[in-house]
Amino acid sequence: MRRTPRDELAEATEHGGLYLRRLIRSQLGLSTVALVAFGGIIGALPLALLLLPGLQDVYLLGVPASIFVIAWPPFPLFIAIAMLYVRRAAALEESFRDLVEPRD
Amino acid sequence: MIAIAAILAVTGATIGLGLYGVRLARTTSDLFVASRAITPWWNAAAISGEYLSAASFLGIAGLQMKLGSGALWLPLGFTAGYLALLLFVAAPLRRFGAYTISDFAEARLRSPRIRVLAAVVVLGIAGFYLVPQLKGAGLTLGEVTGAPYWVGVLAVGAVVALNVASGGMRGITYVQAFQYWMKTFAIALPACLLLLHLGGLPERAAMFGHELPTAGDAGLTVELAAPQSVTFPAATAYSVDGAPARAAEGEELTLPAGEIRLPPGAVVPVAEGIEAQTGEEWARPVESSGPTSPVFVYSLLLATFLGTMGLPHILVRFYTNPDGPAARRTTVRVLGLLAMFYAFPLVYGALGRVLVPELYLTGETDSVVLRLPEAAWPGLGGELLGALVAAGAFAAFMSTASGLMVSVAGTISFDLWRGGPAHVDARRRRFRLAALGGVVAPVALALVARGLDISVLVGWAFALAASTFCPLLLLGIWWERLTARGAAAGLVCGAVAATGAIFAGLAIEGGHPTVNALLTQPAVISVPLAFAVMVAVSLADRTGRRTADAQLLALHAPEGLGLGLEPDQEEVVGARMRT
Repeated sequence: MRRTPRDELAEATEHGGLYLRRLIRSQLGLSTVALVAFGGIIGALPLALLLLPGLQDVYLLGVPASIFVIAWPPFPLFIAIAMLYVRRAAALEESFRDLVEPRD
Repeated sequence: MIAIAAILAVTGATIGLGLYGVRLARTTSDLFVASRAITPWWNAAAISGEYLSAASFLGIAGLQMKLGSGALWLPLGFTAGYLALLLFVAAPLRRFGAYTISDFAEARLRSPRIRVLAAVVVLGIAGFYLVPQLKGAGLTLGEVTGAPYWVGVLAVGAVVALNVASGGMRGITYVQAFQYWMKTFAIALPACLLLLHLGGLPERAAMFGHELPTAGDAGLTVELAAPQSVTFPAATAYSVDGAPARAAEGEELTLPAGEIRLPPGAVVPVAEGIEAQTGEEWARPVESSGPTSPVFVYSLLLATFLGTMGLPHILVRFYTNPDGPAARRTTVRVLGLLAMFYAFPLVYGALGRVLVPELYLTGETDSVVLRLPEAAWPGLGGELLGALVAAGAFAAFMSTASGLMVSVAGTISFDLWRGGPAHVDARRRRFRLAALGGVVAPVALALVARGLDISVLVGWAFALAASTFCPLLLLGIWWERLTARGAAAGLVCGAVAATGAIFAGLAIEGGHPTVNALLTQPAVISVPLAFAVMVAVSLADRTGRRTADAQLLALHAPEGLGLGLEPDQEEVVGARMRT
């Protein structure tokens, strides 16, 4: 009988360990990319507001623009990153499933 | 009167629904099987309901009024925390079937001793988080009924402990989901009406003007119940119980108890600990130094971003997701629901500057959300909206405090109280005793901590969680070489660094502003420290190293392959928690 990758994983063989680590590494890579995208934007915000005081002198509807910048736009951005991440993570798991249990 | 009725109604509804829900869960089917039918939307509303506490409902607006727009980093961090949870924790933890962080630590590291250590940290975080909820309760009841501060603290402490002890509020998703919508409605409706009533934003542009907060066109009258130390940012004439007096610019003095009157347009004196700011200064989200310096902002963002995943009452909720992908979908919806709620508190913080400047004098900026409706609409309309806001605030304390108390009681009765008979009845009795006993310390602390801002107190809970459980979860899930000894060393170092800095910040007065900022919000130092210690000790620990393949497989294997924990096995984990 041919041993499938699934068996290797279930029996925790050395091969199984390789499959598992590859999955973990790909998931961690995806999460890190999402984190960097998020961190780059939000992390830059306080410094940008500090270094560009001009932004604090612009008024929109009588309210300083800097307040608008941190009060609302980041939230849709979070949700967008989250949705993209969920879709990619599901795709990674799908390809792992195909690898482990090839549908023939 | 209306407000008291509204508060009683929301408290009664919470207790009633909780008790009803328990009966339903016990008689129809097993709580955990039933929970598999809960959709991501219900789950997300429940998580948000448990998460939005006094800090979100009252604290953000209060801190914003006091400090300025720098407080707006708080809702950003509170929400972003769920992004961190989504990216690194939600799906693996759900697949692992760990119900609490202590469960996770013990099962992942195969060490019963780490469970006890994790349990102690849970109590620390929950304690820091419970105190501001009780403070909010004391403040709200005082605003609404004029009752002394301690009445509300004791009342809510007692109600929550009894509620948890009697079995209500235990993982009842629908009650928490109801609380989310209640809170959002209670904060959104008055905020929208306020903006409409005041003619929209452009009309109110004056509030961001170039002045210090001033008394309105009719002057300002404040009843002081106790003497109050204040600073006059400008020379002002005022009167105390009708006797005229004058203060020079920059003068610091103690106003006696009694009726303080300020003439129309006078600059309002500010209580000790508040800095008088012009509209322009107030509107700045970051400044080069002081309480909104970049160091502080980054430390705060880091604490909230990484601390959310370590809150004991939040992770429990993820267990009601059917599987890993559902846990992810739930988290995305939580982000949406929180974003909706957080669109509103800043309306109160900004308008409070113009409409209730007397809070600068009394120092109680945390009550701005409660005061604003009646200040904007004297009469029945304001009273009704005020009642709605007070009821929403109570929903916030009740749901968060109950969730925390369940964690505290569960931790004491299950993780720390070992030995003796493990019979179901005995365990249930222990849980009840733990709920009643566990509330004592937070109540005592809340009575002492009256002068501290709600948001600052909650910030500490996040700092502690980010410095302890965040490294434990992240390394435990993604790094196979973590050992029990390494995890323990990191937990201890992170906890000591975070709490030590916080208490040092309380004790030390008038240091360098940057040092002060770091002591009040130490995450930027304590989190990397905890990570470094965990990694270093794990690498050096040769005896404790064991293969973790089975654990990693359970954490990461997708469902439906027959790998990892399948639903049947999970019943074993669930059964333990059902006591």
